[in-house]
Amino acid sequence: MAVRPPTLREKRRYVLARIDPEGVQVDPKDLYYAMYEAVVSLFGDLVAAAMQPSVIGIESGCALFRCRRGTERELMIALSTLGACREVPVALRILAVSGTLESLRERIAAFQEKWHEVPVPAADQLSGSDGVSPLPPGPESPAADGAVSTGTEYQFGGAPVGIVTRRGHKADVIEKGFKNTRRLYLTTEDLEILHATTIPDGI
Amino acid sequence: MKITDACVVPYPVGDSSVSRLALEARSLGFDSIVALDAQVQSVCGIDVIPGIYVSGLPAKDVQNRAKKCRGTGTVVSVQAGDNGFIRTVANTRGVHILRGIYAADKHAFDHVTAKIAADNNTAIDIDLAPVIFGRGHQRQKAIHRYLDVMVLERRFEFPLTISTSARSVLGMRAVREMTGLCSLFGMDETGVQAALAGVARVTAPEENPVRVI
Repeated sequence: MAVRPPTLREKRRYVLARIDPEGVQVDPKDLYYAMYEAVVSLFGDLVAAAMQPSVIGIESGCALFRCRRGTERELMIALSTLGACREVPVALRILAVSGTLESLRERIAAFQEKWHEVPVPAADQLSGSDGVSPLPPGPESPAADGAVSTGTEYQFGGAPVGIVTRRGHKADVIEKGFKNTRRLYLTTEDLEILHATTIPDGI
Repeated sequence: MKITDACVVPYPVGDSSVSRLALEARSLGFDSIVALDAQVQSVCGIDVIPGIYVSGLPAKDVQNRAKKCRGTGTVVSVQAGDNGFIRTVANTRGVHILRGIYAADKHAFDHVTAKIAADNNTAIDIDLAPVIFGRGHQRQKAIHRYLDVMVLERRFEFPLTISTSARSVLGMRAVREMTGLCSLFGMDETGVQAALAGVARVTAPEENPVRVI
């Protein structure tokens, strides 16, 4: 089939969205099915057919979506109703809309730089949170699966937890245990160092 | 004008701490959040307003709870019930927000209750959780109820609030996303901004109706 000349081609729009929580692994195919289900359940088959939504790919924790020009608003509304991808809770935070993929990839690079140099708020700004022991904010330490071994053990709400990702003051942890382990979204101020009062040997 | 998410549910009911919810709210464009069973605090410039949610209690008990919370700065939200219950609660001083209109009886919120809510400065909450996470009949019913609320709001001008009822940071939505979701039931951008400022409106101290000169 001959390629149409540019003036006869359909105009497209590309949507860039960050995948939350950080470090979660999402398959583009699963994301496509979740996105398509969100579009169809909210707007129906007619709008979905006109929109022609698709997932271009997932790059650096961001998802790239494509739709026809003029339907990007509907796509963004549908994306905000997406709460899980193959029963994994996720949220898509829309960052940008563009007419070319190239400019969105530039945006991804710009966002990556911004995230790496995210300023850490002063410790006194987080006073009043329900945490006790302030933890010095560490560098970004994302992990795709499982807890990050930092040498220090933490607890929250009386239960031991393992840190999954940490960026600035944000810390995602997983409860340690045999059952009822769930991912908790905390700040470093909320975490208490386990055995913090234990006097080490040798003193 | 404060941009407020009218209800978030922190740990232990939810999976996110109050400070994390506040941090997330800041990145999503909010100035303040109403967190259930939390303490008054400010996290990175985000005001955390304590709130209580009363559900499943008779009107008399609701009045007692509202009386106890008066003057403490707590936002009192009440689960909507039948028509008589809503009329009584909307008339109760100290009740700020009526929530769960989407799940109430079809005729529970009518023009009379709308007038009472407008007269008593009681807000009606637009809970976006059934629109975001609901599917099929549940979401259709919620959108239909909110369409009806919008018709009455244009006529009687009672306050509105918008909430996500997020139990997790993943359930929170940005102001722009809320604007898009609210456009599904005919709320324009100005209306969304007014509704996001609804908590400040209903918690503002009452002015004396009689002005002494």
